Formats: sequence, C-alpha cells, structure tokens
Amino acid sequence: MLFLLALGCGPQPSIYLAAAAPVQLPQSILEACVFATVLIGFVGIIWKRNLLMKTLAMDVMSTGVIAFYVLVAARGGIFTPIATEKANVAYADPVPQAVILTAIVIGFSIQALMLVGVMKLSRNNPTLDTHEIERSHTP
Amino acid sequence: MTLLTIAWLTLPLFIGFSSYLLPRAGRFLALGVALVSFAYSLWTLLATPSLTLSLLDNFGVTLMVDAFSGFFILTNALVTAAVVFYCWQQNRSKFFYTPAIILHGCVNAIFVCADLISLYVALEVIGIAAFLLIAYPRSDRTIWVGLRYLFVSNTAMLFYLLGAALVYQQTQSFAFTALQDVSSNALGLLFIGLLTKGGIFVSGLWLPLTHSESEAPVSAMLSGVVVKTGIFPLARWALMFPEIDPIVRLFGVGTALLGVGYAVFEKDAKRMLAFHTVSQLGFVLAAPEVGGFYALTHGLVKSALFLITGNLSSRNLKVLRHEPLPRSLWIALAIASFSISGFPLLSGFGAKVLTMKNLLPWQVIGMNIAALGTAISFAKFIFLPSRSEVKASVKPGFWVAMALLIGGLFLANVVYYEAYSLTNIIKPLATIALGWLAYVLIFRQVKLKISHLVEQFDHLIGAMSLILLLLFGMVLA
Repeated sequence: MLFLLALGCGPQPSIYLAAAAPVQLPQSILEACVFATVLIGFVGIIWKRNLLMKTLAMDVMSTGVIAFYVLVAARGGIFTPIATEKANVAYADPVPQAVILTAIVIGFSIQALMLVGVMKLSRNNPTLDTHEIERSHTP
Repeated sequence: MTLLTIAWLTLPLFIGFSSYLLPRAGRFLALGVALVSFAYSLWTLLATPSLTLSLLDNFGVTLMVDAFSGFFILTNALVTAAVVFYCWQQNRSKFFYTPAIILHGCVNAIFVCADLISLYVALEVIGIAAFLLIAYPRSDRTIWVGLRYLFVSNTAMLFYLLGAALVYQQTQSFAFTALQDVSSNALGLLFIGLLTKGGIFVSGLWLPLTHSESEAPVSAMLSGVVVKTGIFPLARWALMFPEIDPIVRLFGVGTALLGVGYAVFEKDAKRMLAFHTVSQLGFVLAAPEVGGFYALTHGLVKSALFLITGNLSSRNLKVLRHEPLPRSLWIALAIASFSISGFPLLSGFGAKVLTMKNLLPWQVIGMNIAALGTAISFAKFIFLPSRSEVKASVKPGFWVAMALLIGGLFLANVVYYEAYSLTNIIKPLATIALGWLAYVLIFRQVKLKISHLVEQFDHLIGAMSLILLLLFGMVLA
C-alpha cells in the first residue's frame, strides 16, 4: 500500500502532491521497485514454511501487482480523474484504476477466506508448518 | 438477443445468492439454472449466432457468443444437472448448492466473455466457489486441499493480472482483440495464469490431489467443467491469432503425453482419472478448432467416471481386482471407459476422429501415443471383475445422473456422423486392441510407483517460475 501513496494516485494524496509539486521519480525506477515487490512476494510464498506467512507473502505479491496498475494509470498524469470545471490538467487514466479496484476487492476476499481456512487448520496443527500439514494430508 | 444473453448470464448469480434465503429449495434452483443453460446452449448450437456485445462503453465488458462457446455451455449445463441429480437424496445444505450455482454461473461467464478483466473476475470467483465446494465436508484434509488449490490459483492469477496490465499499457484496451500486437512478456504472463488454472502440463500438477481428494460430485464438476475455464480462453486465442496457435498446440501435445504417462502407472482409481483429465485437456488444445466437441465428450465421460468411482468399494485398483463389482456399476463404468478410449457408437469416437483429423503433421505421433495411453489406462477399469449377484448400494439419483451423462454420450454421437468410414473405424479399434494387449502383458504386472514429489506445494509454486521462463523463451523464439 505504501506504493499507492508514493505514486500519489489516491484521491487525497494527488491533490496534496499537486500542491507541493512533488519530486517525480522516473517511471523506470518505480517500475523496477514494483516488480521487485512482486518478486519478493513470490519468493516469500516459496521460502516461508509457516502457512500464515505464506498467505502474507501472497498479499505482498498482490500489493506489487496493484501498484503496477496504479503506475500504468499514472503515466499520462497524476490528477485524480474526477469531472469538475477545473482547467485542463494531466489526469490519471481511470480505466486501470477502476479495474484494479475490482481486483483489490477480489484479492482481499480471497485473503480473508484463506485466513479462515488457516485458522481452522491451526486447531489441529498449531505450528502451521506446511511441510507437516502436507505430510499428514497427502495419501 | 442481447437481453436474453444478459439475463441468462446474471440469472445464476441472483438465484445463487437467493438460495441462501431458501435453503430447502437449493436443489430445485440448481436444477432450474442448469436447465436454463441447457436451453441457451441448444440455441447457440442450433441457431449458431455470432453475437458480439460491448456493454457500457469502449472499456466495458465485451461478450462473444458463438457455436464454439455453445459446446462448452452445454457441457456445463449437463454436468451440473447430473451432479444435482446425484446429490438429490443426500440432504446437502445451502452451503453446497449456493457455491454450486454461483460456480455454474461464473463458468458460463467464462465461455462467453471476450475481455481480459471479465475473464479475471470470473476465474477468481470460480476459485472461491470451488474452494467452498472442496471444503464442504469441513475436515482438515479437505480444507488443506482447498487452501492449496486457492493458493496456487490465486498466485497464478496475480501473474495473469500483471500480464493484463502490460496489455493495457501497450494497447490501451483489455479486449481479446488487443492481443494482436502485444509483447511476449505480456502474453507469457497471461498464459501462465491460464495454464495453471486449466491444469495444463507441469503447471497442472496441482490437479491430481485436488480432484482425487474432493467428494465425488465435486470432483465431477471440477474435472468436467471447471478446468475447461482455463483452457477455453487459450483455445479462443489460438483460433483468433495464428501466432498463438502453435504455442497452444504444443502445450496440448505436452500435457497429453505428461498426463497419460502418469495415468498408466497410477494404481489409485481417482488419481488416475485426475491425471487423465490433465491428458485429455491436451486433446482439446491440440486441435482448438474442434476442441468444443472434444470438451463436451470429455466433460460427460469424466464426470460420469468420477461419480461411479465414488460408489466403488475401494479406490485402490489392486483391491478392486479381487472384489467383484456389481454388474450394473461395471456396465456404466465400461461404457464410459469405451467412450473415452474412442470406441465407435459413442461420442468419444467422433471427437477423437475429428481431433486427429485437425492435427498438424508434427503433432500426430505424440497424440497417437497419448490415445494409446488412454486405452491402456482405461483397460484397468474394463478388466475389473464383476458379478450380477452383488447388489449396488446406490441412490436412484445416481442412475438418473448416469442416464443423463451416458445418454448424452450416445446422442452427441450424431454431431459428427461423417466419422463412420471404414478406415476411421479400424484405427481406434486397433489402438484399443493394442492398448489392452499392452495392459495385459506389461502394465498389469508393473510395480513402478511414480514419486509425488513434484506435487508438493512449494514445488507447484516454484514450477510456475520455470514455466514462465519457458513461455518467455517460446514466445520470443
């Protein structure tokens, strides 16, 4: 979520940043950071043995993906695309933002569902070690 | 027609959520939804419309209905109806029927949508609904199997989402038509999501455990239609863009061989069926232009087989060899096995002939080996002993489901009646004979047990990165 703020595309930060004339990082550096986040999340899913940590690692990965959409939207400008009488400014592209809003909702509902599953499993497997769970549940 | 399509598409979602409020009517509602889809699919197949809808605006939802989707929708309708009949007397609660109806609706949505984001939303909702169905018994094992499924599918869909963003960045559009001139990275990321979701090749190795550890009706739905949601867009793209076609065909051959390679050595009935699903999806992708018919045949056969194996006394084929089956169950099992091996008079024959005819020269050897492997694996079922004195302890609903699925196999036979020529008939018969011979002489005695190592959770996720690299290499080449 930090990335969202850094890119300044949420409704409030964009107004704030526009007023303060922010220092804009080049697109490629931001892109590299976003992909690094995705990669860290992905590696985390593999390396962490605890099921809860794996779930969180997946959340990191999805944060990276969300940030990428925000970045794509911010290519043409960073002003929140709300129709007003204001002058012609460089608006952010609303389409990827709308799309990622849907994806965020889906992502967090899946996350919630998975955490419920993890809670259920933790009753009989308090360590939540995936290797152990897997060993006892593979025929 | 636009109104009709939208009404049909949204109906299962409305009904699904209202079935929570009407818990006793769950099975009736589910059956009703399946019947509506059945009527709609017949309309698409018989009237063969080519409907392209753009809802809302340029960036809105795009739908595309044609005969190709018709086959898939018909499969979905028949399999859902059969599963509802199977569960009719089992007193299942709303927590089974609600996800089942929503799953049905989202699977339908996949088969008509024509933009990347609708596809994403539908695939994710399918993941949630399938998880709820897998975890319906609420035991630790089913919850773990469901979680593993949701994990793998969600990680793959994150890659897909990244690919969709790249497509938008390059073309300012999410429609399928925008894939015409996108970079290889975007295509590779989209592919990894769909290949994993569809259970294709190495990225599909999550499938055997998930499909074999679920309850029989859930396995029937997962294997019958849900995995086809992953391969439908791939087949659609292969038909739309000649550059994508060879990649899809190559994955088809690869998965057909990989799946059947596992299936011939498998001793567990449900796991064998699951591995065989991995292989059969390859037949759909190997010749995308006729994939619809193959998917219909496979959906009917595989759900019938999963429902039957759910009623056998054991899952272990070695044990079953010494315990005679009830004759009635054996007959159903044999008919389904014959169809999937490509025996004439059943629609598996027409589907196989049609697919073999539409292969490219370099695919022929691989697909024939896969067909032989199918005959070998299903000889395991056909050669099981049976006795008419043993009574089958199954509910009447089971026979209604069988009548629907196996009757469908006989009826679908007429779709491609031109297949019945002498040379076409001899070849599958020879394949089956050869397969049985190989089974009796070699595979019945083989004690080889393939390790389950690659099916471990960490390896499944790790394999995703390898396939991604492979895809980048393939698309660049």
